[in-house]
Amino acid sequence: MSENFKDAVEGLAAGPAASDAGAGPGRAAQADASSHPTVAALREAFGDAILHHEVQAGDEHVVFIPADRNVEILRWLKEQPGQEYDFLKDVTAIDFGGGRPLQVVYQLWSIRHRQGLRVKAELPLNALEIDTVVPLWATANWLEREVYDLFGIRFRGHPDLRRILMPENYAEGHPLRKDFPLRGRFSRLEQTRRALQLDIESDYTPEELAVGGAPSLPGGPEAAGAAGRRDANRP
Amino acid sequence: MATKTVEYLIRRNPEMGVDGRPVEAPVLPMGVDPELHGEHMIINIGPQHPATHGVLRLVLELDGETVVRCTPHIGYLHSSFEKLGEYRTWNQIVPLTDRMDYLAPLIYNCAYAMAVEKLMGIEVTERAKVVRVILMELDRIFSHLLWLGTTAIDVGAFTVFLYTFQERERIYKLHEKYTGARITTSSTRIGGMMADLPVGWTDDLRDFIDTFPRTLDEVETLLTNNQIWIGRLQDVGAIGPEDAINHGLTGPNLRAAGVAYDVRKDRPYYDYDTYDFDVPIGEHGDCYDRYLVRMEEMRQSLRILRQALDRLPDGPINVSDPRVILPGKTDAMTDMESMIHHFKVVMEGIKAPPGESWFSVESSKGELGMYVVSDGGSKPVRWRVRGPSFVNISTLPKLVEGHLLSDVIAINASLDIVLGEIDR
Amino acid sequence: MGLSGGRHELPVVSGAKDGSASFLTTKLDWLVNWARHNSLWPMPFGTACCAIEFMATAASNNDIARFGMERMSASPRQADVLICAGRVTYKMAPVLRRIWDQMPQPKWAISMGACASSGGVFDVYSMVQGIDTIIPVDVYVPGCPPRPEGLIYGILMLHEKIRGESITKPELRKELPVATEPALPDEVVEAITVPFGNSTSQNRIGGLVPSGALVRPRDRRP
Repeated sequence: MSENFKDAVEGLAAGPAASDAGAGPGRAAQADASSHPTVAALREAFGDAILHHEVQAGDEHVVFIPADRNVEILRWLKEQPGQEYDFLKDVTAIDFGGGRPLQVVYQLWSIRHRQGLRVKAELPLNALEIDTVVPLWATANWLEREVYDLFGIRFRGHPDLRRILMPENYAEGHPLRKDFPLRGRFSRLEQTRRALQLDIESDYTPEELAVGGAPSLPGGPEAAGAAGRRDANRP
Repeated sequence: MATKTVEYLIRRNPEMGVDGRPVEAPVLPMGVDPELHGEHMIINIGPQHPATHGVLRLVLELDGETVVRCTPHIGYLHSSFEKLGEYRTWNQIVPLTDRMDYLAPLIYNCAYAMAVEKLMGIEVTERAKVVRVILMELDRIFSHLLWLGTTAIDVGAFTVFLYTFQERERIYKLHEKYTGARITTSSTRIGGMMADLPVGWTDDLRDFIDTFPRTLDEVETLLTNNQIWIGRLQDVGAIGPEDAINHGLTGPNLRAAGVAYDVRKDRPYYDYDTYDFDVPIGEHGDCYDRYLVRMEEMRQSLRILRQALDRLPDGPINVSDPRVILPGKTDAMTDMESMIHHFKVVMEGIKAPPGESWFSVESSKGELGMYVVSDGGSKPVRWRVRGPSFVNISTLPKLVEGHLLSDVIAINASLDIVLGEIDR
Repeated sequence: MGLSGGRHELPVVSGAKDGSASFLTTKLDWLVNWARHNSLWPMPFGTACCAIEFMATAASNNDIARFGMERMSASPRQADVLICAGRVTYKMAPVLRRIWDQMPQPKWAISMGACASSGGVFDVYSMVQGIDTIIPVDVYVPGCPPRPEGLIYGILMLHEKIRGESITKPELRKELPVATEPALPDEVVEAITVPFGNSTSQNRIGGLVPSGALVRPRDRRP
C-alpha cells in the first residue's frame, strides 16, 4: 500500500505523463508531415509558409502559418480538390500571457473526406491584425467578431467588426486577455452605473438607424450614423 | 472506419401541393399601388420577450409585414465561462458546464470531461463509457422535449408544452436520483463519474423508455398532420445544403437541409459506431423538416438507450489512476496516506500535461466543440466552447429574409437555440 | 399624507389624525391585500437555467395556477410581480430596470436563484452581483436553480409579505426616482458586491487575496 501511495503522490506532483509536447505553451515536437495527407500536400504547395506542424492529444494535427498568408492558405485548403475543408468549425484565439504572441486558431473539417485540421497563426501583441476569412466561410462573421470583442484582434476587411458579447459602450478593454482581471477594471459600483446609463434605444447599428429616420436622435440619419456606433474603447 | 449512415428522406405530407411539390409561400405584398409611398420600419424584439427563447434581441427592418433585414444582438447573458474556467481547476469547471446549455447539462458535462481526458490521455472504463452514452442520449431527448414544448407554444399549441413538460419531469426525477440535482447535474469528473448509478436507476430508465413513445405518438397526432402546424412551418425558413455548411449550421438544422453530417457517425466516440441507429436527414431545410428530424431523433435516441442498457457492463465507474481519482471514502477516513492523497487532489487539483485538445460531441443543438489548452498546471490556459447555438443563430438573418414577421418567431424556435450557450 | 410618488395624487385614505392605521383602514387593508396576493400575475423575466425551473413550476406537476399565477404577463404593464429568474448581466441591467419602471404599482419583485440574488457562481466582469442593486427586491429565493417547491415557498412568503402591507404606508409604493441610478445607495452597493469567501478570491497567480471594498483609479467621483 505504501509503495503504491508513494508513487501516486510523486505522480501527483509531476502530473500525468507528459506527451511529446514541449514544456509550457511553446511548440511541440515537429511531426512527420506524411502522417496527415493535407499537411504533406500543404508543404508541397507552400513550402516554407508552413512554419510548423505538430500532433496534439494523439491525433490532432496542428499547422502553424504566417498571419499575413492566412487567407491564401485557407482558401487553398477550402478549394483544392482533395482537400475541400468546407466546414469551418471555429475561429478562436489563445492568450498565453506574459507578453507572448496571441494565437488565432482555425478549426477546419472536411465533410466529404471526414478529415480535420487545426491551423494557427501567431500575432505579436503590438500588431493584432489579421485578414478576415468571411469571404471563404460565412460562419466566420460572428466568430471573428467574438475574437475581436474578447481579445482585441482586428480582422481586416470584416464587413461588420463590432462588439458582440459585451455592450457597445464597454470601456474596460478586451476581457479574455490575460492582463484583464476577472472582475473587470472598474469597481462594481462604477460598472452598475455605466450599465444603467447605457441608453438601450440608441444601441442600434448605423444601418438600422438609417431606416426611416431615427425619431429620437436630432439630425436624422446622418447624425444617427455618427452617433449610433460608439467607439468600444472610448470611456 | 465509420458505419455507413443510413439516410432516409422524411416523407412530407402529401396533401400539401397539387403535384406533391411544395407550394410557394407568398412573401411579397401583392398588387402594391406604385403611387403609394412606403417606408421601412424598425421593430425591436427582445431582449425580454416570451418567444425569443432567452435574452435575444432581434432588430427587424420591415416592409409592411415582410422582413427586409434582421440583426440579432446577443451578449445579454454573457457570463464569461471561458474566463472563469481559467481560474478553476479541471474538476471545478464541471459545474460551470451545466450552466451553459441548461437544457442538456449532461451532454456538456460529458463533452468537457471527454476533452480533458483526451488531453490527459486517460481512457475511461467500459462502464463509464456506456453510462455516459446513456446520459447523453437521455439528455438529447430532454432537450428536444423542451424544444418541442416551446416551439409549440410559440406557434400557438399550448397543450403540447404541458405534455412535454410532464415527460421532462420524469427525466428530472432520473437526473435527481442519479446526481442529486434536476438541472445542474455536474455529474462527470475527470476519469469517470461522480458516483455509480444507484440501485434501481436502470429499471426506472427502462420504465421511461417503454412508456415515452406513447407521448411522442400523442404529440405527433396533434401536430404532424395538423394543417395549422404545416401551414406555419412548411417552406418557412428554408436553407440549402451548401449555404448551411458555409454558414456553419450543425445538428438537426443541418441534417434537415439534407447534409448527412452527424459527429456520432462521422467521428464516433464511445463506440457509437457499434450501436445500431439511424440519423434522419431532411430534404427541404425548412422548419417543418427540422421538426420531423428532431421527432425522429428522439425515437432513435430511445433505440440507442435500449441497446446501451442491454450492454451496460459491470465494473468500476472510475479509472483507477490515483493521480486523478479520489480514494474511496472509507479509505480516506481510515488511512492516513489516503487522506493525504485526497487532500492533494482536492486542494491542488489534478494536473494536465502541456498541450491542447479539441473534442467534438453531437449535442442536441448541433456540434459541440470543447477546446482545452493546458500549460501543465491544474487550471487551463484557455477553455474554449464552440457552442452550436452561437453559430446557428448567426444564420437567422439569412433564414428570415423575405418572410413575414410571424415567421420570424417560428424560424427562431425551429433553430433550437439556448442563450447560455450562445453568450457563454 | 396620501399615496404619493406617482404622477397622480390618489385620494388620501388616512385613519387616525396622525396617519396611522384605524379600524376602517385595517379592514380595507385586509380586503385590498387579499385581492392583490390571490392573483399575482407574474412578469417572467427569465434569462437562464432558473427560467427552465420557472417553466417547470408553471407546468402541470407543480402548478402555479393554484395561486392564480398561470397568466404570465410578458408585458410589464399588466404584471404584478417580476420574477427575475436567472443571471443578469450588465448589458441586461438597463433592460431589467426599464421593465421594472414600466410596471405599474402595486408591484413586487422576486429574485429567483443565486445568480439573481447575489451573482451566484459568476463573480465576473459582466455579471450583476445581485439584482437588488438594480431594482428593489421583496423576496430572494436561493438555489441553483431553486426547485419548483422552493420557488413556490418564495411565492408564499411574498403572499405573507403582501398580507402584512397597509395602504396607510405610501412608502411601500414609492417608485425609484432616477432611472439611471442604482436602486441602493453607493456604500451599500459597494458593500454587497465585494467578493466574499475564500474561493472567489482566488486568482491565477497566488492563493488568497484579502477582500475589501474596491475603488479603482479610473472610477468617476460619486
